[in-house]
Amino acid sequence: MYENNDPSTLAYVGKSVLRKDTGEKLTGTATYVSDMVLPGMLYAQVKKSPHARARIVKVDTSKAKALAGVRAVLTGDDLDYRIGLYIVDKNILAKGEVRHYGEAVAAVAATSLEIARKAVDLINVEYEVMQPVLNHMDALKADAVLVHPDLGSYEFIEAAFTPVPKTNIANWTKLRKGDVEAGFNEAAYVVEREYDNPSVQHVPMETHVAIVRWGARDKVTIWSSAQSPFTVRNLFCHTFALPLGNVRVVVPAVGGGFGGKAGIHLEPLVACLSKQAGGLPVKLQASREEEFSLLPCRSALTYRIKTGVAQDGKIIAQKMEMFWDAGAYADYAVNVTRASGYSASGPYEIPNAWVDAYTVYTNKPYGTAYRGFGHVEFHWGIERHMELVARTIGMDPLEFRRRNALHPGSITLTGEKITSHTGDVVACMEAVARSIGYGKLTAAEKKRELASGRKIGKGIALLQKAPAMPSNTATAAVIKMNSDGSVTVNIGLTEIGQGSTTALAQIVAERLGFDIANVHVMVDKDTESDPYDWQTVASKGLIMSGNACILACEDLLRKGYAVASHVLKACVEDLAHDGENVYVRHDTENCIPWKSIAIGYAYPDGKGIGGPLIGVGSYIAQGLSNLDKQTGQGKPALDWTFGAHGIICEVDPVTGEYVVRKVASAFDVGKVVNPALLRGQIVGGMIQGLGTATCEGYIYDDAGHLLNPSFTDNKIPTARDLPMEIETIVVENSQIDGPYGARGVAEHPMISVAPALGNAIQSAVDADLAHMPIRFEDVWRAMHDNHPIDNWITKTPAGSCRSDPAARIHTPDSAISP
Amino acid sequence: MRINVTVNGIAYERDVAENRTLLRFLREDLGLTGTKEGCGAGECGACTVFFNGKTVNSCMVLAVEANEGTIETIEGESSGGMLSTLQEAFDRHHAVQCGFCTAGMIMSARELIHHTPHPTVDQIQEGLEGNFCRCTGYEQIIEAVLDVTGGYTAKEELLHV
Amino acid sequence: MIHRFSYTAPTELTDLLALLETAGPGAKLLAGGTDLLVNIRNGLVKPNTVVDVKRIPEAHAIMSDNTKGLRIGWAVTINDILKNTDIASSYQLLQTCAHDLASYQVRNRATVVGNIVNASPCSDMAPALLCLDASIEIASSKAYRTVPVRQFFTGVKRTVLNPDEMVIGITIPIQSKGAKGKYRKLKRIQGHDLGIIGVAVAQVGDGMRIGVSSAAPTPVATGNLPLDISVSDAIAVVDALISPISDVRCTKEYRRFMVSEFTRRLLVEVRA
Repeated sequence: MYENNDPSTLAYVGKSVLRKDTGEKLTGTATYVSDMVLPGMLYAQVKKSPHARARIVKVDTSKAKALAGVRAVLTGDDLDYRIGLYIVDKNILAKGEVRHYGEAVAAVAATSLEIARKAVDLINVEYEVMQPVLNHMDALKADAVLVHPDLGSYEFIEAAFTPVPKTNIANWTKLRKGDVEAGFNEAAYVVEREYDNPSVQHVPMETHVAIVRWGARDKVTIWSSAQSPFTVRNLFCHTFALPLGNVRVVVPAVGGGFGGKAGIHLEPLVACLSKQAGGLPVKLQASREEEFSLLPCRSALTYRIKTGVAQDGKIIAQKMEMFWDAGAYADYAVNVTRASGYSASGPYEIPNAWVDAYTVYTNKPYGTAYRGFGHVEFHWGIERHMELVARTIGMDPLEFRRRNALHPGSITLTGEKITSHTGDVVACMEAVARSIGYGKLTAAEKKRELASGRKIGKGIALLQKAPAMPSNTATAAVIKMNSDGSVTVNIGLTEIGQGSTTALAQIVAERLGFDIANVHVMVDKDTESDPYDWQTVASKGLIMSGNACILACEDLLRKGYAVASHVLKACVEDLAHDGENVYVRHDTENCIPWKSIAIGYAYPDGKGIGGPLIGVGSYIAQGLSNLDKQTGQGKPALDWTFGAHGIICEVDPVTGEYVVRKVASAFDVGKVVNPALLRGQIVGGMIQGLGTATCEGYIYDDAGHLLNPSFTDNKIPTARDLPMEIETIVVENSQIDGPYGARGVAEHPMISVAPALGNAIQSAVDADLAHMPIRFEDVWRAMHDNHPIDNWITKTPAGSCRSDPAARIHTPDSAISP
Repeated sequence: MRINVTVNGIAYERDVAENRTLLRFLREDLGLTGTKEGCGAGECGACTVFFNGKTVNSCMVLAVEANEGTIETIEGESSGGMLSTLQEAFDRHHAVQCGFCTAGMIMSARELIHHTPHPTVDQIQEGLEGNFCRCTGYEQIIEAVLDVTGGYTAKEELLHV
Repeated sequence: MIHRFSYTAPTELTDLLALLETAGPGAKLLAGGTDLLVNIRNGLVKPNTVVDVKRIPEAHAIMSDNTKGLRIGWAVTINDILKNTDIASSYQLLQTCAHDLASYQVRNRATVVGNIVNASPCSDMAPALLCLDASIEIASSKAYRTVPVRQFFTGVKRTVLNPDEMVIGITIPIQSKGAKGKYRKLKRIQGHDLGIIGVAVAQVGDGMRIGVSSAAPTPVATGNLPLDISVSDAIAVVDALISPISDVRCTKEYRRFMVSEFTRRLLVEVRA
């Protein structure tokens, strides 16, 4: 929806309007599912597997069932439903076999949390422990244990995914553009390397929680801390073969999501417990520990990149192989693989490209969506690799990026042509370079180095991301006028903290010309009363729901004008309006207040006309297509948002300790709708990115037990972990089909923080880092060319069981051919 | 065990199990659900309340310990429908996103301002380090605290290029 | 918490000690609760009685005088230490270590004695107390004894305490008054974290002492080293004291390296 976005004409768009949801959130009165108690409500608890892979020999629930207060006990044998977003591979409770540490094996519902916990303790599960496959590279070997021997029989979405039966490959995404081999032959340099990321946890402050009541005649009501109520409803109905009208999903305030609450999680299990308990509502809230292993995480990634570069620094060919560790179930990981596959090069033009992206099953907690949807992980590889290639060919890393960055006329990996209104990644790069004084140290910095004994380094990394969503993703908005002339806006998009409620209120107030105090965007979501929205994910909320809101405003005004034209006895074409009245342009005193027509106008003689004014706007992504499964060609992206981070860090050259002095972040957002909200997204995302860059990550022992499922040993950034200086920069090249020119930017701030830091550390002390996170010890080891510690699977207390060294490539020098 | 406890100025007399945490007592027995549980292990600060005038993680206090004591929670921060100056500053500075950490954050900020009326940024960071926030990246929270303590200099939210 | 227990809060020390004698190992003392309540929640400890030790007035006393030195009562919190002006002026190393312990609201609850009795290798208070030559006052209903802090720890989470005994105070001798020292803790983040390793170096009277946490089964410390000891000799002494392990926080190689490096730097800083 291209609107006039000249700042001088805008009342709300572009202003730091205060949030609409703070009255409740600041006073402790906002209701989260965590806070809800329903009459007769039961409390559920889950019996979890202590093993990574084991045959379930016997589950004895007799003692639990006998405990007073227990109303329902379920095991895998009691249930015959499988769930899955894209590949239907997961039982609600493990059947026959457990596939990861922390998997649900049995569940109970009881009249109190204490009784439920006691009952779970009384369930006795006999296991036959089996050898797990833990490392995703090992899982690709010919003789690897199969996590899902029946993969070939599973239902899956064929248009987008390619599971490989009789292997651990849940999906294989291919992309072929040009002729890579010819490109490598032509290249002056070929540089090849491998980069790693661990699994990490989203850490929403509110853990997953759901209340379900399975009522008479299979009427089911679900209250869930979820990002996507309509997806929960659709998948739930699919699993239980229920009509959509039978199931109502309610989402009140949500204590953070970050992708972890995008799909369907606790709801089916809680529903089964409610059904067994005779329809009483049942509540299950994950403990923080369960959040780490009962619920999903972000997939680990091993990324191999081979790049052929011409003498002048132009990339000619690039072969990219991604090995995504799905863990035990495919969930979102297969789609992360797909989305990362078509974006794998980052914001660079690669004339000859080859991508193989695999989603690999292992016996570990499974991966799901996480802010950035794969892009945080693979940009670590790409943006460290760009640095390595630039250094190898003796070119300034910034110049190397500039030569290869997407620009108007460039063709992306999938064959899409970049235009002047797609966004400008080079402008972002140059903005952050200026902000950090890239490429040299100031006199003050040199003095600081001498005084402190620490080395100062500066690094930059670029990024891109488009929403990863079906080509026909749709949403809608309904705007209802109240009898006081105010409007109430219903959208299916959830408010998980990102501030959409406020940004959309601004768009509605702007488009209607109303005072924003008279625009109410509903925060609580209900699939029975709100219009459909696909999901609250993918940084598509502002652009898609924003467009839907604009269309709904148009519809509302049209309907209002139709009534007003009768009342005012004027042509619709002669009408105009402000926040109070509809009036005749050439006779402004001939007007009618909105509130007089809001629910229908009554003539002085009592006759009525009109009726409640309701504007409806539907918006569907346009011009997108499925990708060809053999070549990956097609148009997957509604909007590309480009950005860059620049980091100044200070590294102790002896110990590897470092501090981040400054982070500058720039994004081409199209149009800023709310500067304060945007800064909150940028800084919040950047700090989350810094957390995964510096300290977060799952650590397992060699039996597949998760060793750090809590805040004791999985730290996240605190208020003390901020860089000393933060600069947030915006570039505004309007998105032609975005509301007021805006495009999405919710996930992007998290992407490429880690490689910017890695590049800065390398420039400071020449530590060559290929794996995340970058702990002080990693820097210390890299400085001394020691083997990196195997981060993610360690023996207790020391040692490792990393994959076969022959299967890995850690020799950039030997891989460079002249 | 029967306890007498004053919460936000109101005296309560209740029977509680000895193993009940102060957090669950407040949320489930008194219905004061503004205080949240984020980890249950004293790490995240979402459950921060004042206990006899000092901030504590209420998930790591037994309700019976509060016998004859006073508790203050987020529900006592505003009065008569009016937000406190601290709450107003959080609003002005967009220091709230999902809101789940907010109650604890406000409690810790109030404690900080009480013992350090004009804190530096370092002191604010230290005062709030026990309160995790996954949404905001803390910067706007720090600015809100600076604002109510006189240390805030207004600046542009974003640099436009 | 699922585990049920009874709760009692004596108001006289004699009652508390009598209770300990009769209750046996099923009784657990509750001071700050920052370890005990986590352990009960996680099912690692299942007491039948929780004895709140904070309702006895003298538990909270900090006494400093010019002959006996400093005495810290058994329920003195970490923030009590940080707010005490006598400690600020005369026992600054205690504050330095206290300042690095956990978060503000945890410090409002956590006690100095609890930090010692818990006997974690990563105790933040232990390096200071070791360097300052603290004595641990132990009482039971029948007896009273003092044990030098360097003999107090016997292993990971183990101390010399008998089931009927409790620590009722920590004394720092007047000889340690005015000691100057520094503590440096290696953490994964800038915010609150358990130490990967911690090193305290203190000049006490005419000797130099070095205390280390998280690098051996218990916190450890050197004896009185010569004031002018060379850096390499000091590192050699410390290196012989420690026996670090690899765990999720760090490898033993880095732990050993960082103990040496912090020792080197702190020696220079303390002498400066």
